[in-house]
Amino acid sequence: MEEKRHTSLHYEKELQTIKDGLIYLGVLTEAAIGKAMKSLSGRDTELAHQVVREDDEIDRLDTDLEERCIKILALRQPAAIDLRFITTAIKITGHLERIGDMAVNIAEKVMRLNEEPQLKPYIDLPRMSELVGNMIRDSLDSFINSDLEKAEQVRRLEQVIDDLNEQIFRELLTFMMEDSKNIHRALLVMQISKNMERIADHAKGIADMVTYMVTGNCVRHQSCGMTT
Amino acid sequence: MKRNLFLKILFSYLVIISVSFFILHLLVKDRISGIMTAGIEQELMHYAELVDLNAPQAMSAHLQRISKISKSRVTLVNERGVVFADSEKAIAGLENHLFRPEIQEARLRGKGKAVRYSSSLGVNMLYVAVAIQDGKNSRGYVRLARPLHDVQSAVDQVYQSIFLAMLIGALVSLAVALFFSHRLAAPIRMMEEFTQRLRRGQPVGSIMLRTSDETRTLADNINYLVEELRDKIRLANEEKSKLMTALTSINEGVVILNRDERIEFLSPLLAGILSGQYEDFLGKTLLEAFRNAELQKAFQSFKQTRQSILREIALGAAETVIMNVSLSEVQGLPGEEKVMIVFHDVTRLKKLERVRTDFVANVTHEIRTPLTAVIGYLETLQAGALENPGDAKRFTDIMLKQARRLHRLVEDLMILSRIELGEVVFRFEAVFLPEAMDSVISLLDAKAAAKTIAMQNRLPQNLRPIKADRDRLSQILVNVLDNAVKFTPEGGRITMEAEERGDQVVLKISDTGIGIPVEEVQRLGERFYRVDKARSRELGGTGLGLSIVKHLMLAHGGRMEIESRPGRGTTVSLCFPLNGPVKA
Repeated sequence: MEEKRHTSLHYEKELQTIKDGLIYLGVLTEAAIGKAMKSLSGRDTELAHQVVREDDEIDRLDTDLEERCIKILALRQPAAIDLRFITTAIKITGHLERIGDMAVNIAEKVMRLNEEPQLKPYIDLPRMSELVGNMIRDSLDSFINSDLEKAEQVRRLEQVIDDLNEQIFRELLTFMMEDSKNIHRALLVMQISKNMERIADHAKGIADMVTYMVTGNCVRHQSCGMTT
Repeated sequence: MKRNLFLKILFSYLVIISVSFFILHLLVKDRISGIMTAGIEQELMHYAELVDLNAPQAMSAHLQRISKISKSRVTLVNERGVVFADSEKAIAGLENHLFRPEIQEARLRGKGKAVRYSSSLGVNMLYVAVAIQDGKNSRGYVRLARPLHDVQSAVDQVYQSIFLAMLIGALVSLAVALFFSHRLAAPIRMMEEFTQRLRRGQPVGSIMLRTSDETRTLADNINYLVEELRDKIRLANEEKSKLMTALTSINEGVVILNRDERIEFLSPLLAGILSGQYEDFLGKTLLEAFRNAELQKAFQSFKQTRQSILREIALGAAETVIMNVSLSEVQGLPGEEKVMIVFHDVTRLKKLERVRTDFVANVTHEIRTPLTAVIGYLETLQAGALENPGDAKRFTDIMLKQARRLHRLVEDLMILSRIELGEVVFRFEAVFLPEAMDSVISLLDAKAAAKTIAMQNRLPQNLRPIKADRDRLSQILVNVLDNAVKFTPEGGRITMEAEERGDQVVLKISDTGIGIPVEEVQRLGERFYRVDKARSRELGGTGLGLSIVKHLMLAHGGRMEIESRPGRGTTVSLCFPLNGPVKA
């Protein structure tokens, strides 16, 4: 994909700005998750507020990118790989925007958690956040470089995140059974964990879209027969 | 190449030969036939004039002889054009000859000639007619005709020689062309091969030619240019390697972006921080390589203003490395402007800054706490508690305790700063470690017994003595052991072990205490650093104990290492060199 050059340099540049925009969006969402996690482990409510504020930029970038993609669709009428690229890009911005929202969700939970004493030291959640950040990064990497192997890696990591979520769920259950005063906080932590798991789902969605873009085969659902 | 040159030379020779022969042909052809025809004409005229028509019968009889001698056909025509004798044909079938051009000419001028194609013989015939004059009246004409065989064959012969000459000329030019093309092409071929090798980047020497014409000059020029080029390339390579060495060896991260905003150079230092290989980042955009929103924002604002920018940006996976990033434009050729980004690692500086501010805050805090207590109780005493002996006793006890703590704190601070300033004089002597340990244990025995902590001294008795300052050593041991007792819950155990490792004695003091989180271990030894601030102060610590140990160990040429697992316990390893500190 990179080797091929379009006759119109301008067109080439337009596609590049889409790529750049997606990476930037990815970096922002990744940073948002990181900050949300940091605000949790460092009990830094101010940082959590910052995550909520910065989501506006993610939303703005999302609509901006989508608009540009649609413009290219309308004006350039791309075909084959370019068409798949643009449509994939549109879907990916959607995923990234949702990830941003999840980071905001986490930040909001953190704000409420920080009003009360810490329930327990967080061990699995920071690990989850790190893995999820890697997944976003890898899924975008796979998109930019049409790297199927990386996409596959993201899909594998999603399973790890699911397991972690399950583990956190069980652990929190014991806290809740121990003392009913813990229930409120445990539920909040559980929601954070659930949000992480959903972010991982979105990252996997991006990876699936990349596989579709490169091979033209749909891997989103087992029974799906969509091909190009 | 050679073939081409050969054909060109041959062709030009052939053109010259053909043109010259064509001109020769134009000049010669008519000249030869003209001269020869004129000769024959003269001859025939002479014969014709010999014929006398006065005696026609006699003439007719001699006609054959005349014809034989003159090698021509003789025709006698009377004044009206009627043929009355012919040496070769019967007169009966012959038409009137009066209007033949030669007869007409002879009628007007006395002599006439004409060249006509004879259809009966198939050759050009020369006709010569002479009017026979009888006084003023013409009595008839004698006409002699001879085929121009000879002329034709003479011309043919000349042409044969000409063609032969042409052929020889062509052959010679072929040989000459071969020779010259070879002579010319050899050096050119050599130069061609030379430049081809040069183009493919194969090692080349220089061209050696034995000729002395223009090709030699050309070869010399090529040699000169190659030499020049080689020098330039070598120089450029040297410059490049110098630059690369400089850029890679300095302790700053450097990124150079080309005009497409893609990475052209990235120093290994940064590649390490980004945990990737140098090659992976080439040709990527800043965003792709760094994945850092702050950096991208800085770059965007730099692009708008084109003014150098200095920012502080956290890099690395967990934003652990803090960099002073400066973006500036590198002036190059027009359209080749590059952007240079220099990363200066200020993580240590930032940390030191924090340690310093922490220190000031801590010192004031630590001093204020006991002072506040002392002042508070003094005020209470003044307000009347002095009258109540029971309260007064209790308050003064507390005040004394606080004042002692203050004293300890100031003492510790002083020791620490004196060690750091190098004002403490160490008297190194051979110290037997188990002995020193025993005396320290006896100091802390009561305290440990109060918490029912078992102290197990497992130091081997055959340990070699170490070079140390006896007082400072016991201070080290007291501080470490005191910590262990403090942070080990009741019923715990403290174990002391030692072993020799090469030229070192490693003393390990392990407890079954509350332990320290992994990320905090690094910060132990910083002044006033406490894992759990409230609890430590409650236990009467100043927050300087391990800091003093760390510095004293350094003064002994050794070091302190701490391993810990939260909830399981902590092991402090003290490594003493057997021979004391290395004197600088």
